[in-house]
Amino acid sequence: MYLTAFSSSNFGKWTLPGIGCIWFLGGYFLLLHQGISEEQVLVDAFFLTLLFLGGVLLLDRVFRHYTPNRKNGFLLVLFPLLLSGGLAWGHAQLLSWWFAKESDYLELLEASFFYRWTVFGLVFQLLAVLAVVISKVAGQEELSRREGQLLQLSKEAELAQLRQQLQPHFLFNSLNSIHALVLASPQRARDMVLLLSDFLRGTLRSEGQSWISLADEIKYLSMYFDIERVRFGHRLLVDLQVEEGVEGLKIPPLLVQPLVENAIKYGLYGTLGEVKISLRFQKEGNYLQVNVENPFDGQASVPAGTGFGLSSVERRLFLIFGRTDLLEKSAAQGIFRVHLKIPVTG
Amino acid sequence: MIKALIVDDEPLAAGLVNEFLNAYPQFEVVAICHDGFEAFKAIQAHQPDLIFLDIQMPKITGFELLELLENPPAVLFTTAFDQYAVQAFDAKGLDYLVKPFSEARFAQAIARFLSQHQTPATSNIVPEEGFPVLPGKSTRLVVRVKNELKVIQVQEVRYVEANDDYISIHTGEGKFLKKMTLKQLEESLDPEKFARVHRSFLVNLQEVAGIEPYEKESYLLRLRTGQKIPVSKTGYARLRQVLGL
Repeated sequence: MYLTAFSSSNFGKWTLPGIGCIWFLGGYFLLLHQGISEEQVLVDAFFLTLLFLGGVLLLDRVFRHYTPNRKNGFLLVLFPLLLSGGLAWGHAQLLSWWFAKESDYLELLEASFFYRWTVFGLVFQLLAVLAVVISKVAGQEELSRREGQLLQLSKEAELAQLRQQLQPHFLFNSLNSIHALVLASPQRARDMVLLLSDFLRGTLRSEGQSWISLADEIKYLSMYFDIERVRFGHRLLVDLQVEEGVEGLKIPPLLVQPLVENAIKYGLYGTLGEVKISLRFQKEGNYLQVNVENPFDGQASVPAGTGFGLSSVERRLFLIFGRTDLLEKSAAQGIFRVHLKIPVTG
Repeated sequence: MIKALIVDDEPLAAGLVNEFLNAYPQFEVVAICHDGFEAFKAIQAHQPDLIFLDIQMPKITGFELLELLENPPAVLFTTAFDQYAVQAFDAKGLDYLVKPFSEARFAQAIARFLSQHQTPATSNIVPEEGFPVLPGKSTRLVVRVKNELKVIQVQEVRYVEANDDYISIHTGEGKFLKKMTLKQLEESLDPEKFARVHRSFLVNLQEVAGIEPYEKESYLLRLRTGQKIPVSKTGYARLRQVLGL
């Protein structure tokens, strides 16, 4: 765990040899002036380092898989304490066996036992706390990584689902119009078949793209209006204004279309008599401004829950831009207005 | 001659039904209407034997139109797509034509009508339990006032009282009668906004000003307008629950 705590694994693999060297040198220089032989110093420092590294690895193993909770938090203190005691004792046993005949050295060994235990204990204690912190941070990182993936997944699922909601009501009524036109007016029937095909092709094509040009979107919407004009020709008036130069802008698909669908739904399907739907595109600053207006009737019977709806547009805007202030709507004097701002670059 | 009336908000769709019907000399198309209001008037004027009725139309739906007719004629529904009507109508309607439909399918529907038309006891098209509604989703009620239609938004309703087969809907504008049971209405309204406080009363919770005890185990509900409505024991329990008392 100590080895993987660094973002660069190359750096991580030097950690253990590094602390080993430091420990060895520290032990070596501390023992050097204690009046014992060079050989004794080297052997002592060597085993001290070996046991220390063993202890570190053991700590790493234990706290990698086990994070003490509130109830057994005392283990965080107890385990390093016992480990350091054990190691200091083991070191003393080993060295007193190794240099069994050298009483000067043995005296020093005995005198320094508690000193060694204390140093081992303090360092292990520190490492144990560090281990717990590292495992917490790593867990957090893993969690947020997964959360990100989850969000991405649900985003895709949601978008796919939204796209599928293309209204069957619209499709079947259009087919029915063609059905009616075939005998009465074959040429118009043909026109309608072509319109509907182009329109549906446009729907399918936009599924694969994350951004489309405004010119394409407008072409697509015009087809939509044309189809509705075949169905409700006597009633639908469309006022489409496109500021010069905005056609090249790129926008996410399925943002403007649902607004127009909504306008058709409330304006055309919801009210009687002639209906005027106006649609304006202009660029202001870094935003493409889209204004949609349609008449509505507060008492109208509109099919609930069909189509994308404005709330879906709001959700999409949030998923794409992370903002909730891009869509405004207002209703006054029988006219419903929607104002959409799409951030654009270039 | 059998008098037929066609109701569809799309002229082409209505025209197609008209065209198909031309093949049957015993039928006479008395009117083609493009919305429920027009149709309501035409039905009063012509008393047709058969209506071809679209469901999804501006202002009022085909279902709502039918609910308002005293003696509804036989109905053949024509619709492109509808979430619930397809299932709901298997049993209830005379027939249900899904657009676009073939001439053969149309002929079947006509045959069905003709076979039932011979026997004078024509079934009442409005089913006993009313037309299917999406529970808790109604936002308005359509009623008839003499020969006109009126749409009432549910939030304008103060309370509703049951009177035999009818309900009387009380709003700021007055009282309106509709042929419907209180149970049907209750099911079609949002239970968080309307509560059945008594066997014969349903109230708009927005209009409630207070509750006062009255006799043993019964209460009186005071509306903002000062009117008092009896509350039954179960109604009181329900009120406490929805109002969070």
